[in-house]
Amino acid sequence: MESVFTPLDCLLPAGTSVPLALKYNNPKLETQFGNLKFCLLILNQPFNKGHFHCLWSKATLRACADGGANRLYHITEGSQHSFLPDYISGDFDSIRPEVEEYYKLKGCEFIENKDQDFTDFTKCLQILQKKIEKNGLQGKHKLHVDTGLEGEWCGLIPIGNACDCVTTTGLKWNLTNHVLKFGTLVSTSNTYDNSGIVTIETDKPLLWTMAIKE
Amino acid sequence: RIIPTSASKLPVRDCSHVLGNLKFCLLILNQPFNKGHFHCLWSKATLRACADGGANRLYHITEGSQHSFLPDYISGDFDSIRPEVEEYYKLKGCEFIENKDQDFTDFTKCLQILQKKIEKNGLQIDAIVALGGLGGRFDQIMASVETLFHATSITPFPVIVIQECSLIYLLQPGKHKLHVDTGLEGEWCGLIPIGNACDCVTTTGLKWNLTNHVLKFGTLVSTSNTYDNSGIVTIETDKPLLWTMAIKE
Repeated sequence: MESVFTPLDCLLPAGTSVPLALKYNNPKLETQFGNLKFCLLILNQPFNKGHFHCLWSKATLRACADGGANRLYHITEGSQHSFLPDYISGDFDSIRPEVEEYYKLKGCEFIENKDQDFTDFTKCLQILQKKIEKNGLQGKHKLHVDTGLEGEWCGLIPIGNACDCVTTTGLKWNLTNHVLKFGTLVSTSNTYDNSGIVTIETDKPLLWTMAIKE
Repeated sequence: RIIPTSASKLPVRDCSHVLGNLKFCLLILNQPFNKGHFHCLWSKATLRACADGGANRLYHITEGSQHSFLPDYISGDFDSIRPEVEEYYKLKGCEFIENKDQDFTDFTKCLQILQKKIEKNGLQIDAIVALGGLGGRFDQIMASVETLFHATSITPFPVIVIQECSLIYLLQPGKHKLHVDTGLEGEWCGLIPIGNACDCVTTTGLKWNLTNHVLKFGTLVSTSNTYDNSGIVTIETDKPLLWTMAIKE
């Protein structure tokens, strides 16, 4: 059983996502995944306005992790009332007083968690998990990289642990039962062949990273 | 090869009028970097090199006075350096050392050449400083970290990477003492078990210290840490562990 996913589908303008079942002529995919439905978490870093508007409009649920609310407030200046998050969570040591006041006034849910053993991102994710249905990760992955939004580079990063057996297709420099490990081999500055599909099989958690076109 | 002593003492970030005798070589990588850092590091470096597109960065940041900032060499596969930049530095007599090996990054190859020059010229060096390498593309940041892993078999000298407000330094297994009292330290610091779990880490000098802790992605990673007021941080680790810290603006 493999997981099938188009990483950059979320950045396609609303209405242009083709149902997976139709796109890949596989009726099984419709019941499994359908159109990419996603939840949006806004973290405390500056981000691109273009990405933001596209993601916000398509998201099923939208949340801010602490200071992410400042970013949301700022980037929606003049029309904050049209961009209210479903909840704001964290230890609230980063959210500005006027931002907190505004979203409280507007009735946004505030979920406090002062636990210092976890980041605001992690805590936001834990709350999100309670609010949505879970999808499991398998060892085999199929990524559709033909949205037109893919930039040139991509990489596979064995962050945190070595991967003893990684096999790929669809990359310029593929791996076949390779070890990926810091100090041995890390796949960076990789790129795609022209198939539009990347498959990755890994025995341990492995970080996929890719470029988004400007 | 020479293995650093088990208590490696690295005065981190001494600059200009602050008392500091750290002798270092400067590698310029292909990322945008801070002008303030650049001028300070350039003026104090024993030897200065560019890794491929790092030459573009140098050329740009020294606009108007490039002739006063000529690198000792430029190395790499030269797929990033711009033609006019290459032409300029060739005209000025800078050494170009080509290496088209795709199994190593420009940073790694630059380091290999640097070590040869340090040995050949008998240079007295305390550390190697790489400028750039921590910004922009995520995969390039990871490539910089990967180079730090390889650095231990390339050079005995500590290699630190600096960009914007961040510094990274890979701690080898053993005990380390870091002096963090230059006045240039920013607020945050962290210990990142990148690439492998560390089963036994003990620290002093941090706000949140560790005592025989496991550091591992998915279990515990020390981020947003900070200092107590002692001015010294000690770290003991059983496996390679990445130290990262803030540099004041």
